[in-house]
Amino acid sequence: MIKNNIWRAIINYFFILLIFLAILQFYFFYYLNLGWALLTSFIFALGLGWILFKQVISPLKKMNMVTKAIGQGNLNQELPFYGQKEISQLAQNINDLVRQQKKVLAQITAEKNRIQTILNSMMEGVIALDKQGNILLLNSAVENFLGIAQEAYLGKNILSLIRNYDLERAVKRVLKSEKPITQELQLIYPEPSFYYLKATPLKNQEQEKEGIVILLRNITKEKRLDQMRTEFVANISHELRTPLTSISGFLETLRDGAIDDPAATHRILEIMSKETGRLAKLINDLLHLSKIEERRVVHRWQLVQLKEIINQVAAMFQPQAQQKSLSLTVEMPVELPCVSGDPDLLAQVLTNLVDNAIKYTPPDGHVLIRATTDKDNVQVEVKDTGIGIPPEDLPRVFERFYRVEKARARELGGIGVGLAIVKHIIKAHGGSIKAESIPHQGSAFKVTLPTEKIETEE
Amino acid sequence: MRARGTFEQELTDLQQDILRLASLTEETIYGAVQFLLQQDVAGANQIISGDVLIDKLAQEIEDKCVKLIATQQPIAYDLRLAITSLKFLVSLERMADYAVNIARATLYIYGYPLNRQLMEYTSKMSRVVQQMIKEALDAYVYNDAQRAREMCSLDDEVDFISAKIFQEAVRAMREKTQPQIVIPAVYFLLISRYLERIADHATNIGEEVIFLITGEKRELN
Repeated sequence: MIKNNIWRAIINYFFILLIFLAILQFYFFYYLNLGWALLTSFIFALGLGWILFKQVISPLKKMNMVTKAIGQGNLNQELPFYGQKEISQLAQNINDLVRQQKKVLAQITAEKNRIQTILNSMMEGVIALDKQGNILLLNSAVENFLGIAQEAYLGKNILSLIRNYDLERAVKRVLKSEKPITQELQLIYPEPSFYYLKATPLKNQEQEKEGIVILLRNITKEKRLDQMRTEFVANISHELRTPLTSISGFLETLRDGAIDDPAATHRILEIMSKETGRLAKLINDLLHLSKIEERRVVHRWQLVQLKEIINQVAAMFQPQAQQKSLSLTVEMPVELPCVSGDPDLLAQVLTNLVDNAIKYTPPDGHVLIRATTDKDNVQVEVKDTGIGIPPEDLPRVFERFYRVEKARARELGGIGVGLAIVKHIIKAHGGSIKAESIPHQGSAFKVTLPTEKIETEE
Repeated sequence: MRARGTFEQELTDLQQDILRLASLTEETIYGAVQFLLQQDVAGANQIISGDVLIDKLAQEIEDKCVKLIATQQPIAYDLRLAITSLKFLVSLERMADYAVNIARATLYIYGYPLNRQLMEYTSKMSRVVQQMIKEALDAYVYNDAQRAREMCSLDDEVDFISAKIFQEAVRAMREKTQPQIVIPAVYFLLISRYLERIADHATNIGEEVIFLITGEKRELN
């Protein structure tokens, strides 16, 4: 290569020397006067200069421009090839370099996108912080948790993102000790919620500390469920104990001699049977719920006349309603289409709804069962003039073990599974249920079930 | 150049200190109201004992701020930042004190029958007040004067609910059938007062944020 170059330089040198000598020759032998000689050499010089400019300077200039642009990050540049071999080679090398760079960059970008996609598809929130606690990166889960946009926070301190004392202290501690920690965290905004936090120190290849990675898992639901479970155990113990206490008390009475008095025995047995029934119902409810939730219920799938069920349930609750001096009325069209499902389960739905309505309606109120139908659906509505449900509790009434007002619910009995059972049954039938309520004015539960379209042969 | 660098750092630190204090104050207020509504005496006691930390932190930040002004002699925006920081401190610390008062009230009314309506109003009021605090602090974080201006419209809602609490408390106290309702009703009146004061301080913070950003003093309410 070098040899080649030297050879070219020598040729060029001799070429220029030859021209110079020729002009000198012409000048000395008076073929040319001074003016002409100067003019000729000037023209040659001009020619040489032009060649130099065209072949060397202008490509270099162009390269200069392009490499500058590349340096500034614009990799979509390509140099043209030039006549001069060295320069064209240089141009080609630069082009290769840029192409290589582009490839590497594309790889890195793809890698980064992949990681970003993975991060964004995570349920957990990920926040990366630098040594000062400024935000390097956060994924879309965090954006969802906090209701913010990433751009607004990049580079800002963690305290600007999440104003939480415990979190900041955890960050500081991890940065200092360089040991991971886990803890629970309660955030107030945008909604009060609980998080499980894991903070791990971030190290670079030389094992120097770089920052910290925070993993946030939303455990609000689990927390709530936990709380409900605790309450549930308390409730269920209470519910089970009350009838048991009364049964064992009466057993004692019987043993202490009441058994010899037929009238008393009869009365006591009556009460005991009622209490046993209560216990059985409670346990049944529980079993039922767990069965339905595990989908172990064998549905006796058949065509169901809702009309009959509604009338049955209404008749069943009539005495209870009268006892509380409530009016229980049924409103439905003459023709109600059939739905397909399990009649016992559907009766259970209605029973639970009407039972609740009667339970939570003060005396002299009204409970209304209204059925309507359109082309595809049957709607059954159970409406009362009871105490209603506060709007903040409304979305949660279908959760199992959830009770709007703990103290009062305990007073009235029940463990908060009735509506959960209802919801599961309706879901299994492909229908939907909606609750509406105005506190102190009443609630309405609307069940929508798809009708079975059959051509009756009659 | 080096001195400038540390000065910048000190200013950033100061802002973070303020946010740290603010986070504690926000949590204290939230906790105080939650424990009140849940009638959680242990929680209320925790809030009361937590106030020491807030006071200590506020004192530390104040010292830092005074030192910063004395040694660095900031001007323009930096001076405003230092001055508003001092004012924020006072407001935040005061707000936390009101939260402690609410926690104390929780202890006093524990065991009395509670008026559901009053609880509901208080819960609603506290939500609005917390929204105000959040907006004011967000305006500070974002350097967003517009946000600070908008936040103050919430103050009217606070006043409205506070009036409702007054009416309901008076109505409840007039009912002769339940004399034991009087004590909790009076405390709920006080609590609504505390929340109102907290909202006022939040408004103050909003005003200070506007002053910090634009340099103009404005009464927002």
